Amino acid sequence: MKKQLLIIPSILFLFILLTFFYLLTIERNPSELPSNLLDKKIPKFETESLLKNERFVSSKEFGKEIILVNFFATWCQPCRVEHTYITRFSNEKGIRIIGINYKDSPKKAVKWLSSLGNPYSDVPVDKDGRIAIDWGVYGIPETFVISSKGIIKYRHIGPVTGKIYKKINLLIKDIE
Amino acid sequence: MVPSLGNLALYLSLFFAISQFIVSRKNKNLKFISLSVIGLLISSLISFFLLMYSHVVSDFSVLNVFQNSHTTKPLLYKISGVWGNHEGSMLLWILVLTLFNYFIFKLFNKKNSVFILKTLEIQAFITIGFILFTVLTSNPFERMIPAQANGLGFNPILQDPALAIHPPLLYIGYVGFSAAFSISVATLSLNNSEKIPWYNYMKPFVATAWTFLTIGIALGAVWAYYELGWGGWWFWDPVENASFMPWLLGTALLHSLIIVEKRKSLQAWVLLLSILAFLLSVVGTFLVRSGILTSVHTFALDPSRGIYILIFIALIGGYSLILFGLKSKRYFDNNYFTFFSKEGSILVNNILMVVVCATVFLGTIYPLLVEAFTNSKISVGEPYYNSTVIPIMIPAILVMGIGPMLGWGKEDKSKVFKKIFPSILITAVMTILIFLIYQSYSVIGIVGIVLSFWIISNNLIMLIKKNKKYSISMIIAHLGVGLLILGITGSSVWQEEKITRMKIDEKTKIEKYTIVFNKIEEIRRSNYIALQGNFLVFDEKRKIITKLKPENRFYPIENNFTTEASIHTNLFRDLYIVLGEGNSNDGWVVRIYYNPLVIWIWIGALVIFWGGISSININLRKLKTLS
Repeated sequence: MKKQLLIIPSILFLFILLTFFYLLTIERNPSELPSNLLDKKIPKFETESLLKNERFVSSKEFGKEIILVNFFATWCQPCRVEHTYITRFSNEKGIRIIGINYKDSPKKAVKWLSSLGNPYSDVPVDKDGRIAIDWGVYGIPETFVISSKGIIKYRHIGPVTGKIYKKINLLIKDIE
Repeated sequence: MVPSLGNLALYLSLFFAISQFIVSRKNKNLKFISLSVIGLLISSLISFFLLMYSHVVSDFSVLNVFQNSHTTKPLLYKISGVWGNHEGSMLLWILVLTLFNYFIFKLFNKKNSVFILKTLEIQAFITIGFILFTVLTSNPFERMIPAQANGLGFNPILQDPALAIHPPLLYIGYVGFSAAFSISVATLSLNNSEKIPWYNYMKPFVATAWTFLTIGIALGAVWAYYELGWGGWWFWDPVENASFMPWLLGTALLHSLIIVEKRKSLQAWVLLLSILAFLLSVVGTFLVRSGILTSVHTFALDPSRGIYILIFIALIGGYSLILFGLKSKRYFDNNYFTFFSKEGSILVNNILMVVVCATVFLGTIYPLLVEAFTNSKISVGEPYYNSTVIPIMIPAILVMGIGPMLGWGKEDKSKVFKKIFPSILITAVMTILIFLIYQSYSVIGIVGIVLSFWIISNNLIMLIKKNKKYSISMIIAHLGVGLLILGITGSSVWQEEKITRMKIDEKTKIEKYTIVFNKIEEIRRSNYIALQGNFLVFDEKRKIITKLKPENRFYPIENNFTTEASIHTNLFRDLYIVLGEGNSNDGWVVRIYYNPLVIWIWIGALVIFWGGISSININLRKLKTLS
């Protein structure tokens, strides 16, 4: 083996450490991700609705009131964890929630909603994940707060917890 | 008073560590060295147990106790609360480090004095780094004046017996690699170390680290299974990966040490592996502690600490890897192995383990690299790991079944076939039998079952033959792996899940079991209040099998909810019930899992642990005959 090659592990190692160092020094919060779409209009989309017999057209739905958009799937464990809070948004706060069903089997989704309860006013189906790509979704569950003008005000990645629930509620009051 | 003494002991241990570093560097007086080593051990023991005392008597003048304890907590969790937080866990880390330091010192004799002293010097340097880190950024003895009447409580999700002993075992694993690291660096930096059988010194430490890491990881999985209530036991979470990666390298290291012992080949490779195993242990801990990555297990976060530990990692990592680059040349050899031999099979396994480790490492840090260079975020999850790790593991396990039966050097192929023919037969019969019972045909299921019985039957045959050539600890550990694969396959391929909303007296079916929701009641304990469901489980003959009582606990002090799954276990399957939210009008959400063969995962891990322990024994005895 060439002697020069033996230095490769140390170079790789230092490279990785430098990356970590850079990430430590910049301001970031790994669970709160900035959206490129923040303060921009929502991406338009049109798709089938899981529970209704008509097509879901985004331009008809958004822009009237504050709406939460929640990406979910039955195969996603954390979605189950956050379901309680999503339900509380619609039951206690009366907020309209649109649940985008991401890469899921419609049968399972219907069963899921009927057994756990359906907090969503409508469930557009994102069968191949195209809508999620347009929204810049990084991993589900993800929740967006959309203002009454159809503008994305907040994005949360991961399950909505008690803390996030309060935060979103405050934010919604602010926007109002 | 007591906390001040603890603090003093911590500073004393820093002093002894520094003196050990200086004295062993000058390597003059044995008296001074033994004084430093023993002083270091005793002072770190004292500081650790004084912190534990503060936790047990609930001394809320100590910030660490105030933040992590409460008078109503059961004694077990007062004790485990010591390492259930960042500051206290550092103290445990230091204690384990000094224990290994002491064991290295115990190996000292006239013949190996230069080598052991060099090892102690490096071990002292590592210890200094961690004590300084603790003292400067996370001192557990920080006071809080005036003392508070009661504490903030202890994260309820960590109040679990498996998790109470999981960190100490895991730390023995991580820190055990520090000894291998020190030995490796000492070997590289000494000039005439080729004559020292450094691998014989390294092996008991690696065996210890690997064995305890195995059982530590298994207990973490047990905790996730019982406490998280998600029906699974492994989630490819960064914290899990942080323990899995050193385990993979440890596995490779343990096996290649056998080749070094017997054939004196692969020495440079083993020296590198032992450096990497420890670095990965520290980097993994750093990743989760610094908050660079988030995870479901993260319970101690502070980015400011990150910088310190990163500099420390850069120091020891940079030094050891550059040293390896400059000095490892003389440990290279040009021995070629035939593929069809014991060393060939170990080498193949080595490569596969390292590839798996690199794959997991890439998955864990790739999102970070992408973020640093492109400022965009991506996520790597379970699908990545399942689709990359499993295919690499399959050939590794195939080789693992046959490798130990092969001889050193060259093996006659027809002879080998005769040896493995019975196990091929057993594997085939058992696989068909299992599929007749479970009636489920999935490719991964078949592969898993075949691999499992392939390992089990090969090792049983070796066990029966009682050939002295086969190490008994190896057979036990490998048997454990076979059982482990059986459990993993069963629980991941044939798991069934049912989520429904149930009212009192309603029933539901899963597999052949009927489950009746009998009643729900409130129970009160010192540290929590719970809603406890009561479910009756009947089999197909309408005979009652068990009562399951899942709980929804509320911990008032921490203002936190947890779910306690209730599980009925037998050798064939687990029935697992989790109670969700609900009320008496609409009913409660109930999640029921049918998890086949889960218990074999835990049995397998215990059997591996047993094999590991007996291997530590054997290796220590070997070392004794050496001196």
